[in-house]
Amino acid sequence: MFDTALTAKDLVFLAQGAGMTLFVTAISVFFGTIMGIIFGVIRYQIGPWWAAPLTFVLDVFRSIPLLIQLVLANAFVTTVLGLRVSGFTVACSVLSLYTAAYCSEIVRGGIEAVPPTLRRAARSLGMTWGQDMTYVVLPLATRVALPSWIGLALGVMKDSALVYIVQVVELLKSTQTLITRLQEPLFLLMICGLFYFLISFPIARFGGYLEKRWSND
Amino acid sequence: MFNYNFRWNQALNSLPDMLEGALVTMEIAILSMVIGITVAILLTLFRLSGNRILYAIATTWVEIARNTPALFQIYMVHFGLGGFGIHLSPYMSLLIGIAFNNAGYLTENFRGALKAIPETQTRAARSLGMSPLQAFQNVILPQMLRISFLPMTNQMVWAILMTSLGAVVAMNTDLYGVTSELNARTFRTFELFAIAAVIFYLITKAITLSARLLAARLFRY
Amino acid sequence: MKTSILAASLFAATAVALPAKADKLDDIISSGTLRCAVVLDFPPMGSRDADNNPIGFDVDYCTDLAAALGVTAEIVETTFPERIPSLMSGRVDVAVASTSDTLERAKTVGFTIPYYSFENAVVGNDKVEMATWEDMKGKTVGATAGTYEAIWLEGKVKEWGEGEFRPYQSQADVFLALSQGQLDATVATVEVSEANVKSGNFPGIKIVDKAPMVPDYVALITLREEYGLINYMNLFINQQVRTGRYAELYKKWVGDGAPASLTIDGVYR
Repeated sequence: MFDTALTAKDLVFLAQGAGMTLFVTAISVFFGTIMGIIFGVIRYQIGPWWAAPLTFVLDVFRSIPLLIQLVLANAFVTTVLGLRVSGFTVACSVLSLYTAAYCSEIVRGGIEAVPPTLRRAARSLGMTWGQDMTYVVLPLATRVALPSWIGLALGVMKDSALVYIVQVVELLKSTQTLITRLQEPLFLLMICGLFYFLISFPIARFGGYLEKRWSND
Repeated sequence: MFNYNFRWNQALNSLPDMLEGALVTMEIAILSMVIGITVAILLTLFRLSGNRILYAIATTWVEIARNTPALFQIYMVHFGLGGFGIHLSPYMSLLIGIAFNNAGYLTENFRGALKAIPETQTRAARSLGMSPLQAFQNVILPQMLRISFLPMTNQMVWAILMTSLGAVVAMNTDLYGVTSELNARTFRTFELFAIAAVIFYLITKAITLSARLLAARLFRY
Repeated sequence: MKTSILAASLFAATAVALPAKADKLDDIISSGTLRCAVVLDFPPMGSRDADNNPIGFDVDYCTDLAAALGVTAEIVETTFPERIPSLMSGRVDVAVASTSDTLERAKTVGFTIPYYSFENAVVGNDKVEMATWEDMKGKTVGATAGTYEAIWLEGKVKEWGEGEFRPYQSQADVFLALSQGQLDATVATVEVSEANVKSGNFPGIKIVDKAPMVPDYVALITLREEYGLINYMNLFINQQVRTGRYAELYKKWVGDGAPASLTIDGVYR
């Protein structure tokens, strides 16, 4: 098993792929979360009826396989519109919207978990809507939403393995490239899987810890 | 407006093939869910058993399923097991890969649900003379399944979406496989995948709707 | 008065029409880069060396084309199912990717004259008893999704009405499955089959027979409407053969012997 043709250069090659995975994830989670918060607050504020079109669009992102979203967005932007856009941009845009769709759901759930009486009390004390959101809703909703958000961020990292379809060379793709040359599929795939695991596992555990700590007070 | 000639006719001609693929997709999703729930109940029992080895098996399963990409898991079922001489057809590889993932996530959901069931219930059941297994089966399990019904519905949707990963193990009879094969032959990427997206959307909506109806029927108080 | 309006509108019309759109050939020359889609898990046509840099017949062919155009070559890795989409999406200018010139594909992309010609071989797993290509009947066979071989093989399996066809995503996956025994046989080009058998990377595979297909002529592809570029590349291919570069590349990547003829008796083109 440890008798391998893998060289230091190949490890660098793999590390580049891993870097791309983390980079795509970071960008998508960053923009996805911002959009998710905006969409989530809007959906809560204007009520389910008025938010129906937004809810529908966001729901589409959660009801269609990510792979198809990527293929379709790529074909639409580059072939139908004829724009010259890199696969990286397409991948990050789709993943951001995908993240936003789930995130808005988490944000809405978080806001709804804040007891309305508490918010009315805050407003009765003379707080503006902004103050109420910042000093009352934000701290309480974060406690509810953060563990799920961590789960979402990790989910996006794992799902980013699919961006190979728009020619972004991330970890799984660079692993396959090495497999093609070295023909040590099991060994290389183990390394690849271990990498995902080593990033995901501690963060997931941390999320579980937060959930446990915050759920009892 | 577009410098692109849509050829919807050509793509729509393939609709019957794609709908047939949609049936395979649904079949895999449902089977993987049945297997997943069964295994997850078993793993939950492993965790409750107090036996260290069983507990370790359940934990390893859950953590691998939750912390690596589903694509990786499916690929490993086909080529990883293949390296040990265990040969599974693309259909079985995909089914087992998704079921593995389902079982991992569902076990974690069940763990959360168990926390909501007071431990006194088990003790009460035991003092009524039930064996530990009877207490689990008759008292805990029904409540556990009810509490985790919503996460189970979500997992079902995930299972449908995961079928799209079958192409890496040469699966070509499910909706995604059929679509990508048609695409490889005709290159009407946008039209074909747009149709596939609509079908996927309808399937997930149908599944969530029927899950809701089922819940209303099962969990009437 | 009327004539002046007519003249003015005519002038306006020509002014709109005049700035002739530079075609892809111009774009490539002015951008200074030729972006080629090459499949890199397809030795000896395309693969990677120990530093993971692209090498192979197709890579050299792209470099030659770029040199002829006076630009630098940029190799963009692609897979067989993705080569035409990546061309359509404008990520590459041409695909030097052993693309068989099928009529179905010609509806979407523009082909040059053939630049290479493959013979296909049936490769089987050692443990499976096979003597001729017809022994594939009833077996589990596979090939790389979207290739000429895959389309032929899937057609055969349908015609036989027994056995199973599996389209894998890459040539490497096909040979991995074959070596593991998940597949009984595959059809691949003689060049690729021999390279893979010789490399020893895939234990337990052997070449069984030649596949009874017409020679698989492969061509360079670009967008269907880029006649300027297609014409240029036709001449380029002709020059490659004329100057002996074709034979030289054949010797370098494939081996001794005469390279396959690129013409067909009794018909033009």
